[in-house]
Amino acid sequence: MNQFDVCVVGSGPGGYVAAIRSAQMGLKTVIIEREKLGGVCLNVGCIPSKAMITAGHFFHRVNNDAAEMGINISGKVTVDAATLQKWKQSVCDKMSGGVGQLLKGNAVETVLGDAVFKDAQTVEIKSSKGSKVIAAKNFIVATGSRPIEIPGFVIDEKNVLSSTGALALEEIPKKVVVIGGGYIGLEISGFLSDFGTEVVVLEAAKELLSGIVDKDAVQVVVRKLKKKGVTITTESFAKSYKKKGSVLEVTYEVAGKAQVVEVDKILLTVGRKPNSDQANLKGIGLNIDEKGFVKVNAQRKTNIPGIYAIGDIAGQPMLAHKASHEGVLVAEVIGGKNRAYDAKTVPAVIFTDPEIASAGMTEEECKKAGYTDLKIGKFPFAANGRAVSLMETDGFVKIIANAKNNIVLGVHVCGPEASQLISEAALAIEMGATLEDLALTIHPHPTLGETVMEAAEAALGHAIHIIQRPLARASASSNHKTV
Amino acid sequence: MALTEFKLPDVGEGVTEGELVKWLVKPGDSLKVDQPIAEVMTDKATVEIPSPLIGTVKDLKANPGDRIPIGGTMLTIETGGAAATATTPKTEKPKAEVPKNTVTKSSNGHGTHGTGLDVYPPAALSAVLATPATRRLAREMNVDINQIQGTGELGRVTQQDVINRGGAPSAPPLKAPRYEGVSGETEERVKMVGIRRKIAEKMQQAKHIIPHFTIMDECNVTDLVEMREKLKAKAEKTGLKVTYLPFVMKALITTLRDFPEVNASIDDEAGEIVYKKYFNIGFAADTPQGLLVPVIKHADRKTIMEISHEIMILAEKAKANKLTPDDMKGGTISITNIGSVAGTYATPIINHPEVAILGMYKIAEKPVIKNGELSSMKTMNLTLTADHRLIDGAVAARFLRSLIERLENPGVLMLDLM
Repeated sequence: MNQFDVCVVGSGPGGYVAAIRSAQMGLKTVIIEREKLGGVCLNVGCIPSKAMITAGHFFHRVNNDAAEMGINISGKVTVDAATLQKWKQSVCDKMSGGVGQLLKGNAVETVLGDAVFKDAQTVEIKSSKGSKVIAAKNFIVATGSRPIEIPGFVIDEKNVLSSTGALALEEIPKKVVVIGGGYIGLEISGFLSDFGTEVVVLEAAKELLSGIVDKDAVQVVVRKLKKKGVTITTESFAKSYKKKGSVLEVTYEVAGKAQVVEVDKILLTVGRKPNSDQANLKGIGLNIDEKGFVKVNAQRKTNIPGIYAIGDIAGQPMLAHKASHEGVLVAEVIGGKNRAYDAKTVPAVIFTDPEIASAGMTEEECKKAGYTDLKIGKFPFAANGRAVSLMETDGFVKIIANAKNNIVLGVHVCGPEASQLISEAALAIEMGATLEDLALTIHPHPTLGETVMEAAEAALGHAIHIIQRPLARASASSNHKTV
Repeated sequence: MALTEFKLPDVGEGVTEGELVKWLVKPGDSLKVDQPIAEVMTDKATVEIPSPLIGTVKDLKANPGDRIPIGGTMLTIETGGAAATATTPKTEKPKAEVPKNTVTKSSNGHGTHGTGLDVYPPAALSAVLATPATRRLAREMNVDINQIQGTGELGRVTQQDVINRGGAPSAPPLKAPRYEGVSGETEERVKMVGIRRKIAEKMQQAKHIIPHFTIMDECNVTDLVEMREKLKAKAEKTGLKVTYLPFVMKALITTLRDFPEVNASIDDEAGEIVYKKYFNIGFAADTPQGLLVPVIKHADRKTIMEISHEIMILAEKAKANKLTPDDMKGGTISITNIGSVAGTYATPIINHPEVAILGMYKIAEKPVIKNGELSSMKTMNLTLTADHRLIDGAVAARFLRSLIERLENPGVLMLDLM
């Protein structure tokens, strides 16, 4: 039986990062994966969905924007779903293969199979090739999460699809119903409608992206989805479905009244739940909370000495980059360094059209946290040269600061490349930067990034490229006194 | 009845801990708002900590001589109902309850989980302004960043703040051997606390850092004595006592203008000499608690009368142990006139980070033979003790000669008066 310093269970963006850092710390490390290296993120989540969204966006623009730019396409532009799948898969394989190389290069041993804890010191790994027992001084549980199902809808990836199935469609469906208007549902709705699918979104809450992102941002996205022909029904509850010939008849309830919609596929994206019911985590006595998350402290230690948990299984937000951050910190804790989760913000990005990205607090969260006096600046992409030349002018950058000292509390971007722009905001918040810091940093022209500088200026009351009222004329010229 | 833990409030900028000098209350005593509970000595001064509420003292959680971190529990107070909602005392800032500063062991390394899952230091509160790297440094130094008052812009906690809080020793304390005592003989052991301990630390530090040397000379103060006698009578009518100290201060300042390296400090970390363009003159005061050095700020801009007045006030405050940290801050050079008690010469210790200290000694009448005739003159001995890293022996000698010339011809002082 092999004895390791560290055994990482799960090779998603939390697990593989933890394994690499453990090895860098000089610890003898093994990682266990039951499917493909890179986990959900690289194989059936973040990365393939971005490939599909890029293709969808490209297709949509060729059909809608090209002519305006004078690019004429003779003949019909079509999508070959099979080739699209092949390309998407090649993206995933490249990334997954890269993880394999990194692990190998760092002398991390990789074991493929299903891990089950025998006790707090050993796991048994079962695969088609047989079983194997590994002992380690420390375990990092990074087994992630999976889609939630609701009564009446069992995910079979044929009729009822999870995100995994939706990213592997061999042909573009004519009509789908998306149950759950969260970020996964909206990302998939976006690219399907780009490819020409008629999409109906059923959301149980009063609004989409149920209160987690800036309300103005949601409005921009909803408007664009509707423009693309997506039907959005809020406060509606999917009840059941029936197969009727080649179509699926989905019954849902709005205000107590039953409605029916006929579709080719049902997409179930009502959320994800931690995989804490697997791997015998409960059997060895790990403390698990009522939502199914493994209970951890700021160092991601569980109640069992030597067992750590990171990523989706260790609590919200269930985001890859949070998992990676935790992976590094846990490996360093095991390596004897004093580390804990001390981050101020986990930026979040949603690849809708346009994208939404945020760092720090929303306006409501600021108020709840006791910041009553806020400075809020908003700058539209329509006033940004690069956005106009990209023909992507929907959306805005909103910056919220504490009016007492101008320290940036939250940044919300809805617009082109919002996902790229948010890193500056995250750095600003982590550094405790002020509005002036952002406004006085020279941003290159012409770029989308200028909007961040301008939004900071707007919060200070004097953005250059929008008219802000009331005008502070007094300091400019005494001849034009405002009354 | 409710039990309230009273924690050492933040008593001043940059203060991280206080040493309990003595309790002013005992268990069972009833407390009024603002009633002094204890004397606490910080790096800067001894302060009386007032009670924030009405109640009865239950338990004292520290002994005289203990060092209590800001936010550390001092005592528990039993409070009764509505009476407890008293006003906040002046020294306590209205802020959220300071987290406990107790180190839960087992926060480090693997396989050492404690019973609870607390982590020390606790994760940074989102209100704390500090960069990620500073937060990490605090964690590595086991410093609770939530408890640091940042000195940076907008209260930002800087890396230096963390280092200061972490107590990175600027001069490692020398470990002196234990004194075992002599068996059979009577000895009394008293805890070395308060100002005594502070003096010991400061002196040890100064001696450790500064290579001292002292130069001595005699000064003919016949004219100065005469001048002071005349002024003294005049000043006394206004209730002021004019000593020789303000005259020496004035002569010292004009001399310092010619010798900027004597009114300076060394920033060891930056490897820089800091020349000071202002003149804050400290003077050693002998008090019942021990040596204290109050400072006359901007003495160059004050008249002899103003300085005399300030000396009187500061000396009284020193005797009554009422000096504030501000009163003793910012000196650029010090004067000791302990020689007025006894001793012809002494070798004082420099008040670090200053680089020199002037010693003045008692005035004596001496016979002199001048041109074959016997006459008498009044003399005063002077010493200049200097930091040899910055001040060469020849510079010190020239400085002392220049100072003596001024004191011997007090009329010349007039030339420099503004």
